[in-house]
Amino acid sequence: MDLKKLKPVFLAVIIVFAVVGVTLYMGTYFSGLLFILLALVLYAAFRYYYDGKEVLISLLKKGLQGLMVPVIGIVIAIIIGAVVMLISNYDPVAAYKALFYGAFVRNWHISVLNAAPLMFTGLSVALAFHAGLFNIGAEGQYYIGAMAATYLGLYVKLPPFLSLALIFILAGLLASAWNIIPAVLKVRTGAHEVITTMMFAHIARYLSPIFIRANGGDPATSTHAYVTTELPESNWLPRFNAFLPDANYRLHVGILIGIVVALLVYYLLYYTKVGFEIRAVGENKDAARAQGISIGRSILIALLIAGFLAGLAGVNQVVGLDHKLYQNLDANYGWNGISVALLAGSHPIGVIFTALLWGALDAGGQYMARVTQTSNSIVEIIKGIILFLVVAKYIYAYVGNRIRRARKKRRAEAKEAV
Amino acid sequence: MSKQSERRVILETRDIVKQFPRVLANNRISIKLHENEILSLLGENGAGKSTLMNILYGLYTPTSGSIHLNGEEVQFHSPKDAIEKGLGMVHQHFMLVDPLTVTENIILGAEPGKGGTIDYKQARKEVVELSEKYGLHVNPDAPVETLSVGIQQRVEILKALYRQAKILILDEPTAVLTPQEVDELFQVISELRKGGVSIIIITHKLEEVKAISDRVYILRGGEMVGERITADTTTAQLANLMVGRDVVLTVEKKEKKAGDSPVFQIEDLRVLNIKKFPAVDGLSLEVKPGEIVGIAGVDGNGQSELAEAIMGLLPVENGKISHLGEDITQLTTKQRISRSISYVPSDRQRFGLVLPMTIGENIMMGYHDRPPNSKGLRLNYSYINSHAEELSKSFDIRTPDVQNPAGKLSGGNQQKVILAREFSRDPTFLLVSQPTRGLDVGAIEYIHSQILAMRDNNVGILLISLELEEIFSLSDRILVLYEGKIVKEFKPEETTDKQVGFYMTGGKE
Amino acid sequence: MEGFFGIFNTQLLVAMVRLSTPITLAAIGAVICERSGIVNIAMEGIMIIGAFFATIGALYTGNPWVGLVTGVVAGGVFSLLHAVATVSFHLDHVVSGAVMNILAFGLTKYFMVLFFGHPGTTDQIPRNLGEMEWAIPVLSKIPVLGKVLFQQTPIVYISFVLIILFTWIMKRTKVGLHIRAAGEHPLALETIGVSVYKMRYLGVFISGLASGMAGAYLSIENNASFTEGMTNGRGFIALAANISGGWTPIGAFIAALFFGFADALQVRFQVLQVFKIPEEIFIIFPYVATIIAVAGLVRKSRPPAAVGDDFMIEQESD
Repeated sequence: MDLKKLKPVFLAVIIVFAVVGVTLYMGTYFSGLLFILLALVLYAAFRYYYDGKEVLISLLKKGLQGLMVPVIGIVIAIIIGAVVMLISNYDPVAAYKALFYGAFVRNWHISVLNAAPLMFTGLSVALAFHAGLFNIGAEGQYYIGAMAATYLGLYVKLPPFLSLALIFILAGLLASAWNIIPAVLKVRTGAHEVITTMMFAHIARYLSPIFIRANGGDPATSTHAYVTTELPESNWLPRFNAFLPDANYRLHVGILIGIVVALLVYYLLYYTKVGFEIRAVGENKDAARAQGISIGRSILIALLIAGFLAGLAGVNQVVGLDHKLYQNLDANYGWNGISVALLAGSHPIGVIFTALLWGALDAGGQYMARVTQTSNSIVEIIKGIILFLVVAKYIYAYVGNRIRRARKKRRAEAKEAV
Repeated sequence: MSKQSERRVILETRDIVKQFPRVLANNRISIKLHENEILSLLGENGAGKSTLMNILYGLYTPTSGSIHLNGEEVQFHSPKDAIEKGLGMVHQHFMLVDPLTVTENIILGAEPGKGGTIDYKQARKEVVELSEKYGLHVNPDAPVETLSVGIQQRVEILKALYRQAKILILDEPTAVLTPQEVDELFQVISELRKGGVSIIIITHKLEEVKAISDRVYILRGGEMVGERITADTTTAQLANLMVGRDVVLTVEKKEKKAGDSPVFQIEDLRVLNIKKFPAVDGLSLEVKPGEIVGIAGVDGNGQSELAEAIMGLLPVENGKISHLGEDITQLTTKQRISRSISYVPSDRQRFGLVLPMTIGENIMMGYHDRPPNSKGLRLNYSYINSHAEELSKSFDIRTPDVQNPAGKLSGGNQQKVILAREFSRDPTFLLVSQPTRGLDVGAIEYIHSQILAMRDNNVGILLISLELEEIFSLSDRILVLYEGKIVKEFKPEETTDKQVGFYMTGGKE
Repeated sequence: MEGFFGIFNTQLLVAMVRLSTPITLAAIGAVICERSGIVNIAMEGIMIIGAFFATIGALYTGNPWVGLVTGVVAGGVFSLLHAVATVSFHLDHVVSGAVMNILAFGLTKYFMVLFFGHPGTTDQIPRNLGEMEWAIPVLSKIPVLGKVLFQQTPIVYISFVLIILFTWIMKRTKVGLHIRAAGEHPLALETIGVSVYKMRYLGVFISGLASGMAGAYLSIENNASFTEGMTNGRGFIALAANISGGWTPIGAFIAALFFGFADALQVRFQVLQVFKIPEEIFIIFPYVATIIAVAGLVRKSRPPAAVGDDFMIEQESD
């Protein structure tokens, strides 16, 4: 029995378990977690058998090291949050119980629904970061994607999956186009993309009411001035309850699309020529240029793909959740996407987890507010603290240095006293 | 002899130790400086000289050991303390703020004026007085970025004198000067000594130690390995102490007849720098296969613009660049690399490597989009890594794993990664700029031998270097670059460094 | 067409100055901050904090001047976080700025609910500074310029004074010289014994105070209450104004006037209903103006050489 030959079979089994597990879990079937666990254990065995104990141990070490900073950040943020709650006369224990119960058990479907658009905007910002760019205007690309998806959704009539695929791709391309001018300006004039994409984001925000009024939100003809007409059902994203009957009726499969896109972005960045060039330009554009890599081309590609990804967030919300476009000038998908990307260290796979975390915090916060009367804006504070702590990694080095220096001083003084 | 022992010891270090996370930079160093003395600290890069001086100047605190000034122990927590006690330092890389004027730079941190305002009139007056007192003539109103390197150094010295420095530390002062400017500097140093200033010079240049200093300490590997009266020692002895073995001062170069038709030609090249000034102005040269053409020149005469223009990183105003007889002036960098033109850039960390990426990725970069490094859109990492492992062996890259980031390697090994990449492309023409900057003698020997091996393999090599020693030991022909043009050609065996230096500074016959 | 040309009158210029004031204040603060070497994209967040706390101060004491002070101080204190993150913790400036913004939005939301029980808009303050229009005796009689420059409200006057003050500080004081050196060649400054860290903390703090005042203007002089998100991108426009103005206070002021002009024009077009176009098209004038400014003018001036670069003194360790 040549086990080497079975390698692809082994791998296939792991992948099947992982896919089934993720799909079940995202569909609020908690049995999915067992499948995911099984897949992880099998994967560890796989690496142990085929690559050796050393490789497995170093992999585990790297994983733990990577998790350490975010986990510490989360723990400290929870503690500070508890202090703030106490000061504001809330009961932290009850509040946190409700928060976690609501986020991960009772309203897990809301967590997943919240996470889907954040995954797309998070990927958008993360990809741009790899090119050394800050796609701070992801929110604007979101709006363009949402508007395009609404328009296409209202008027495109094709067999279901074809229709949706077309909507996703076309709307994504339009959102991508929203980043052309910032990209060209960056390459030609060095104009900082923070300013240009932010300006374009504000412009897109203000275009959305015009769009809504033109597509069914006219106060003269409809009772709702701030929302478009509803999309036909054929253009709605399928829902989990189509094949997982116990899933919440609103839970749509956008999250799975998001996870697949995350894997694609990961593959793009780390396994393709284009991704390699983007990373080289982001990490050292002088050296990249000296080796013939076109900086302008990489910047352009990175910003266009980033625009596409953020646009998909808008598509996701329109064809998946709302089936219409609401006027919501404070959606905050852009800023939340930035947090998600930063928290994940710009790693596409990490974005999957941080998006779920952020979505869970929002869902948990709402539940907590309802059940314990603790204001859910406390979640904003917790999020802010987690973000700050994770991002300022040097804090730990700084604090460590300070402690060491203080100890040294005390030792030296003690010696002199003797 | 008696003159020496009569002088007071004004500065002394006792058993200074400085431990960094991965290296013991100073290991119990004790030195003495006498009043009105010119003292040299000799050592290679990494010997610990700069660390010791940074401790004396208050930039670092010693792990243990003490500093004594005029007999009293002192502790410096910052340069402010050192300056207050009369120490001044002229750093190797100037600490001048480009857009500010000479006056502003000199008074920075010690500005005259009441309250918070600056009395510019007074400042200017003081600067002029000071410069006349020591014969260091400068234009007080000129923005420092418009001045030549030699004059900038005068501003740095004036900065220290403005704060009444009694002890002046000069860190590699002649690294950026022409031979003539070096003579002028030595005159200034003598004047300063007459004016009551004691001087420590940090250097790795043996001739300068002999030329200017009274005494010399030799540092090696963080330890003080010798103390000599300069008049009583020879450069060979100093070199021996500095390196720890008998140094072969030149590399073995075999006789080689160059090919006939040039592999690379430049005709009447004109290149503008970022300030729109013609840094290369009517330059012509040619390189034949199997020869090393060395370009000697003072930094700032067009070297970097020439290198960038050759590689397509800077546009050409006028002129023609040809490779193997074909005009490549309009080709992109990528196209030039594809023609097996290889380039070892002068700033390895900035232009040569992407430090966070792995050694394997750095080696294949530039050829990453062609098989066997990639297949279609995909990168073939198994080939990339195995190829990198092979090259690590043949280019002596010391690393446990080619999938480690290049940033973890030492300077010498980083340079070898670049060599591995560029030399393994089988070039017909090789452009090498400052290949051994900042490297220790072992690495220098290795890289020089690799360059010579390429030459013996009929590669045409253009070597740009600021180190005349390197030019002399490697080149078959020496071209002198001055103000963007080639002003003279020599064969190394038919000239001296003084003669080349003459043309490097614009001398005409 | 009569309506169209009727827009261009002295009132337009007066509005231009008024509407550019928050941008001017934030931008001249940014001049000092960036000159010291720190990029500050957190101005949007600092402004919103300033706006909020100015309203709180004015509401709880009934005195808008107290509000002004609380707004300014809140901005300064909040900006210290950015200073700590970038100077002492060596965080990337742009990333830190983004995090500051996120924190600011979160904090104001939280405090809104805490103090007022609901998000959205606070109660109205009893007296706002916009009511205090002062005409300077002789100068306000000058045709056109008189009304534009010398018949304005308090914070607008303060902004004029600050422009001159900041210019003087940068050109003629020791601190100004040190700040400039910190942004051009920090090591040079450190090696002659001046703390670069201190200069950069100062630069960020001044920027925080200025942005805090800009926010205060929005809530207690230009308005009489605080609404979430009322900064509307002005923090980023101020960033553009600093860049277009060549990192000088007067240049930033002129650039801010340009954006204020676009804003004033936009309001007039809306109010006077000159064109039959959706009002949002006009609202985006200032944003388009910013894009044009940043694309067109950025080449002409040179930023401080070390802005955005981290500066770390050699780490001491045993």
